[in-house]
Amino acid sequence: MLAAVPPVETSDAENGAEYSFAVEYSGPPVTYDLPRAVPINVERIPVAAVVAQVSLSDKLSLPVVQPLLAPDPRSKKFSRELITLGSDSATVISPTSVIAFDRDNESVRQCKELELVSEATVSPTSVIAFEERDTGNEGCVVSGEFTSSGVLEYSNGHYGSGDLSDVANSSRALGFSSISHELSHELLGGAGSSSTIEFSDILDKSQGSSLRVSNGRKESLDINNDLNQADWVSNESVLSFDYPSSRISSIKAVDCNNESNYDLKRTPVVTFRDVESDGAFDEECTQDEPETMPAKRVPQTKGKKGSCYRCFKGNRFTEKEVCIVCDAKYCSNCVLRAMGSMPEGRKCVTCIGFPIDESKRENLGKCSRMLKRLLNDLEVRQIMRSEKKCEANQLPPQYVCVNGQPLSHEELVLLQTCPNPPKKLKPGNYWYDKVSGLWGKEGQKPAKIISPHLNVGGPIKQEASNGNTQVFINGREITKVELRMLQLAGVQCAGNPHFWLNDDGSYQEEGQKNTRGYIWGKAGTKLVCTLLSLPVPSKFSNSCGEQVSSLVNKTVPDYFEQRILQKLLLVGYNGSGASTIFKQAKILYKEVPFSEEELESMKSKIQSNVYRYLGILLEGRERFEEEGLIELKKKLSSGKIGSSGNMVNNDDKTIYSVGPRLKAFSDWLLKTMVSGNLEVIFPAATREYAPLVEELWNDSAIRATYARRTELEVLPTVASYFLEQATAILRTDYEPSNLDILSAEGVTSSNGLACVDFSFSPSAPDDNIDAVDQHDSLLRYQLIRVPARGLGENCKWLEMFEDVGMAIFCVALSDYDQFSFDGSGSITNNMMQSRKLFESIVNHPTFGQMDFLLILNKFDLFEEKIERVPLTECEWFDDFHPLISRHRSNSNSNSINNSPSLGLLAFHYIAVKFKRLYSSLTGRKLYVSLVKGLERDSVDAALKYAREILKWDEERANFSLSEHSIYSTEASSFSH
Amino acid sequence: MSVAELKERHVAAMETVNSLRERLKQKRLSLLDTDVAGYARLQGRTPVSFGPTDLVCCRTLQGHTGKVYSLDWTPEKNRIVSASQDGRLIVWNALTSQKTHTIKLPCAWVMTCAFSPTGQSVACGGLDSVCSIFNLNSPMDKDVDLPVSRMLSGHKGYVSSCQYVPDEDTHLITSSGDHTCILWDITTGLRTSVFGGEFQSGHTADVLSVSINGSNSRMFVSGSCDATARLWDTRVASRAVRTFHGHEGDVNTVRFFPDGNRFGTGSDDGTCRLFDIRTGHQLQVYYQQHGDNDVPHVTSIVFSISGRLLFAGYSNGDCYVWDTLLAKVVLNLGSLQNSHEARISCLGLSADGSALCTGSSDTNLKIWAFGGHRRVI
Repeated sequence: MLAAVPPVETSDAENGAEYSFAVEYSGPPVTYDLPRAVPINVERIPVAAVVAQVSLSDKLSLPVVQPLLAPDPRSKKFSRELITLGSDSATVISPTSVIAFDRDNESVRQCKELELVSEATVSPTSVIAFEERDTGNEGCVVSGEFTSSGVLEYSNGHYGSGDLSDVANSSRALGFSSISHELSHELLGGAGSSSTIEFSDILDKSQGSSLRVSNGRKESLDINNDLNQADWVSNESVLSFDYPSSRISSIKAVDCNNESNYDLKRTPVVTFRDVESDGAFDEECTQDEPETMPAKRVPQTKGKKGSCYRCFKGNRFTEKEVCIVCDAKYCSNCVLRAMGSMPEGRKCVTCIGFPIDESKRENLGKCSRMLKRLLNDLEVRQIMRSEKKCEANQLPPQYVCVNGQPLSHEELVLLQTCPNPPKKLKPGNYWYDKVSGLWGKEGQKPAKIISPHLNVGGPIKQEASNGNTQVFINGREITKVELRMLQLAGVQCAGNPHFWLNDDGSYQEEGQKNTRGYIWGKAGTKLVCTLLSLPVPSKFSNSCGEQVSSLVNKTVPDYFEQRILQKLLLVGYNGSGASTIFKQAKILYKEVPFSEEELESMKSKIQSNVYRYLGILLEGRERFEEEGLIELKKKLSSGKIGSSGNMVNNDDKTIYSVGPRLKAFSDWLLKTMVSGNLEVIFPAATREYAPLVEELWNDSAIRATYARRTELEVLPTVASYFLEQATAILRTDYEPSNLDILSAEGVTSSNGLACVDFSFSPSAPDDNIDAVDQHDSLLRYQLIRVPARGLGENCKWLEMFEDVGMAIFCVALSDYDQFSFDGSGSITNNMMQSRKLFESIVNHPTFGQMDFLLILNKFDLFEEKIERVPLTECEWFDDFHPLISRHRSNSNSNSINNSPSLGLLAFHYIAVKFKRLYSSLTGRKLYVSLVKGLERDSVDAALKYAREILKWDEERANFSLSEHSIYSTEASSFSH
Repeated sequence: MSVAELKERHVAAMETVNSLRERLKQKRLSLLDTDVAGYARLQGRTPVSFGPTDLVCCRTLQGHTGKVYSLDWTPEKNRIVSASQDGRLIVWNALTSQKTHTIKLPCAWVMTCAFSPTGQSVACGGLDSVCSIFNLNSPMDKDVDLPVSRMLSGHKGYVSSCQYVPDEDTHLITSSGDHTCILWDITTGLRTSVFGGEFQSGHTADVLSVSINGSNSRMFVSGSCDATARLWDTRVASRAVRTFHGHEGDVNTVRFFPDGNRFGTGSDDGTCRLFDIRTGHQLQVYYQQHGDNDVPHVTSIVFSISGRLLFAGYSNGDCYVWDTLLAKVVLNLGSLQNSHEARISCLGLSADGSALCTGSSDTNLKIWAFGGHRRVI
C-alpha cells in the first residue's frame, strides 16, 4: 500500500521520469528543469480548485482525527496531543509545500497558492484528504525549481494569507492554537533556504503573534523551540523533536482509519527525496534524508547521516541508544538528557506516553551495553522494569483480534496472565479454540496450545485456520498438516468426522458420548507433532483449569490494577459499627479473612475484653455490696426491735458478697485495670485464672450483679454477649467464631486506617450473568476504613482520598439516645455528633463531587430500643410523630397490608432527615441503605448497592435521559 | 476534692496562664523594637537579585503516577527519596535522574519519607500510623520491590513527618496526628521517648512537622495544628523547652535555620516566620500581600545553605524565594519557565546546597540549580 501511491502519481504525471522518485531520486541536476513544469501547472490550476472542495468535504468527515483526542486525563498530555495534531497537519503540508517550493517556477505560483489554501483547510481535519488529492490529481507533484521570493509574495499578498488566518481562527476555535504555529513553522522549514520574510507577514496576520521570523531555517526552529516548552536544550534538535510526535499521531490515526494513512506516512519520504534532489536545503540536511527513509515517520535530524540526533556528532558506527517510539538515536553523551528519567523506558522525553513502535516490542526490557555503561545496575533494572511494565508500552488490545473480534483491555489481560499464555503476542488476527486451547494465526495451522476456557474474543469460525480437509475439530476445519498428524496418531478420520477435542487431549466424535481416545497420549504423537511443527500441550496446561476460573487470586499487572480498582471510603463516628462492616466485608469476600496472627491478636483482645467486662461487673458488685450494706445497716437500725432474729446469719453479708478467694481475685483484677495494663498481663494470665473465672461467673453474687447490669453505664451492650459465654472464651483453646469477631470491640486497630481488597464473587446464580458481568468480576473494590479521629473540618489528609469512588458513611441508628463527651468536653448526643461529622465530611472540598452512601447501621438494636425509648430523645428528631395507634392495631391484627413497624417508620424518617441535610448541603441525592452489621446478607446487600451506584455513575453520562426517570422513582421510594 | 471544685480550680489556673501569657506577649512586643528586615534596611542591604540562569530547572524526575507528597536528600550522595500518592517510594539518582529503587508500600497513603544519614535506608510514614523502614541493601524480590525491614508502630494517629537524627542511622523522630512526637530506636523498634501527649506541655493538636537541629541534634522543633511550634530536648521528654506562639493557623512545616539557633515555620495563615530559639522571639514575618481574600497556605519551606534564601511553597502553586534579610520575594519558582504544572508540595535542599529539589502534584520532581556559566574572577 505504501509503495503503491507514488507510482500512481508518476503515471498521472506526464513526465514520469520526474516523479518516479524511487528511480529518479539520484539526480540532483533535475531540479533545474524549469520549463517542463510550466504546462503541468497550467493543467493543475483548475484541478486544484476541485481539490479544495474535496478537502472541504473531508473537513466534514472530521471524525477521522478523533483518536488523537483519545483518552488522556492529564492536561499535559492533552496539550501534547494538540501539538501532535498540529504537527500532524503541519507535516501533511510540509511535503507539498516543500515540493512546491522546490520545483516551482513562476507560473506555478497560482498552483502553489491554491495548494496552500487547500492545505490550510485540510490541515485540521484529515490526512486522507490531502492524500487523495495528492494521488487523485497531479496538482501537488510539481516539478521544477522554485524561485522563492515571488511565490511567497504572492501567497502573502492574497488569499493565501487570508485563508491561513481563517484556519488559524478556526483552529483556535477548536482549541488547537498550536496548529497554526506548527503549521507556519513547518511551512517555513519546508521553505528551507528560500526567503521567508514574506511568510512571516502571513504569520503575523494569521496569528496575531509577533513571531520574528527573519529568515532561514534557524529562526523558524527557534520559534518552534519557544513554542514547545520542553526541557530541550539545543535548538538544532527541534526538528527531531517535532517529527516523532507527528509520526505518532499518524499511528494513532491508524487506529480507526484505514490504510490510507500509511500513505500519509509515505509522503514525507517523497518530499524528502525531492528536497534532496533539489539541493535548496543545506548540504547536511539533504545528506541526512535517506536516514529517515524507512516507511515510518522518523525524527528529522539536521546532523549527518548516522550521527546523534541531539548533538549531531559521531557517525554510523558510534554506539547509540534508540527511542522505542520514534527511532531517534542518541549517543552516550546525549541519551540521558534526551530521555530524561525514562519513566517508560527508553523514550525521548517528548515521546513519553505514546505507544511504542511495534517492531521494537521484542527489544523491550533488553538492555543495551551503553546503558549498562552509563548507569549502575540498579538504575538499569528500574528502567527495564518500567519499560516492560508501564501501561503505555503494553500491546494495544484493539490490535489483537481473536476469532475476528478485537480484544478489550480485560480480555488481553486475561490472555496474558493466564497460566499458559501465547508467547510474544504481536498485533494480528488469531483464532483460539476455547475448548482445547489451540491457538494460531488466522488462516494458519495451530501454533500453540494455551490455557483453555479463556473468555476472549468471539466464537471460533469454521474457516479459522483455512483448512480444506472437511475434518472438523471443535467446529474448525483443520489443515492438512493436522489431518496428517491425526492419521499418524491413529485417529480414524474417514468420512469427514467432526471431532470434539478437550483440553486434556481426549477426543470424541460430535454427538457421541464416549471418549474415543487421547490424542497426545502416545509418545510417538508428540514426536510427530514436533516433526510437523504442530504444538503439543505443555506439561502444566492440564492442571491449570482450576486456576483460570478463580480470578480473585490472579496477579493483575500494576497498571491494570489501577484501572479496575474502585475505592470505597468507609467513615463513621466511633461506635457506628463501621469496623463491624469492615470485618464483615473481610469475612464475606476473603477466602481467608484473617491471618493466624490476626486471629491470635483478636483472641487475646477478646479475652482481655472479657476480663474488662468482668472487672466492670466486679466494680459494680462492690458498689452494690456497699449500697446493700448501708441499706442493711439502715434496716438493722430501723428493724432492731422488730425482726432481729432474721438478721443473725447474714449480719454483714448481702447477696453481693463473695468468698475470700474470689475477693482476692477481684481485688487483683481491679488493681490491674486501674493501673491500665490489662492487655500486658494477658494472655499469660488466661491459663491461670480460667478456672477462677468460671467459679466467679457461677457465683451467685456475680449473677445478681449481672442481673442489674443495666445500672452499670460503662458496661457496653455487647458485653452481655461475651459474658454469657465467658467461661468458654477464657479457655486457652478458645477460637473466636465469626460472630465473636464481629461483635468484639477494638479488634481492628483503631489507630490507623485499614483497607481490604475484594471482588464480588460472581457465584450468585440468580443474577443472570451476561458477558458484561463477567468482565465485572475482574473489577476489584477496595474498602478503606478511616478512623473517625481527626476527621475534622480542617483535616489535612482527607485530600489523599480524592481518587475514591464513593464515600460510605456509617451511622448507628441506636445512637439516638446515647450521649458522650465531644471534643470540647461537653456531653452531646451521639447522633448529633455523627451528624456533625457527616456535615464536615460532605462539605470537604475533596468530596465535592463524590457520591455518598449512608449506611444506617444496627437496625436490630434500634428496632428493639425504639419500643422502649422514644426517638424524640434526640433533639434532631423531635418532630417524629408516627401514627402509633394505627400501627399498633395493624401489628396486632397482623393484617395483610402490614404497615411498616415502628422501627421501619423511624428508619425512613431518619433517612429522610439525612437526605434533606445532604441535599441542602450539596443539592444532590444521598443513597441510603439499611444494615444490620452482624448479618452478612445485609452487609453484602449494602456493598452490592454501592457497586450498583458506582456502575450507574459510569453509565450516567450515556443515559442521562433514562437516568432521570430512575432517579425520580428511586428518590420517591425512600421519601415517606 | 470534688469534681466541681477541681474544675473550678482548673478554670482559674487556665485564666492565670492566659493572663501570664498575655503579659509575656506584651513584654515581648515592648522589647521588640525592630525586625530583621528593618535592621537590614538600616544597614543599607539590598535584596539578592536573580539572573535568568541563576536558578533553572536542570532535571525532571518522572516516574511517579500520583501526587508527590514528600522528598528527602541523602546527606552525602546525590540521591533523593520521594513519596507519592501512588503508594510508592522512589529513590532517585539526582545526577542521572534515574530511579535506583522503587518501593511499593503496604499502605498507599504515605505522607512523609526520609533518607538515613548514611544513605543505607529510607523511612516513611503515613495514615497507617506506622513508620516503616526499608533497607536499601536488602535483596529485592522478583518485582524489584523491597521488603519492609522494620515497622515502628506505637503512634495512635497518622505519621505526618519523620526525620533521622543526624549522624545516627539508628534513631528517628516522628511526628503524628496523636499530638505527640516520638524518638525511636530503630534497632529495637521501640520508643525511646514520647514528647507530648498526656503531658500538659505538649501539643494540643496534630503535630504536622519536625525538624532536628543540625548543629545540636538533641534539639528539635515541632509544628502543630494548635498554631504553635515547640522546641524539645530529646533528653527531657516531659515538657517542651519552649513554645513559640505567633501563628494564626496550623503550622504546617518547620525547618531549622542552618546555624541551628533559629528556625522557620510555614503556616495556614499564609505567613512564614523566623524564630530565635535562644530568646524565644519572633524575628521576622514573611508575608506577601495578595489581592484577593483567599490567603494561600504555606505548605513547605526550606532554607538555602547560607540561610539568606528561604524557599516557600504555597497552596496556590507559587513557590517564593524570600530574601530572609530583607523579607522580600526575589523569585517565584512557580512562574518560571519549565516549572511544575501543579502546585509544589515539598521542597528539599541537597546537602551541599547546590541544588533544590521540588516535588509537585503534577507527579514530577524537578531539580533546580545554577544554570549559567560561572564568571572567572
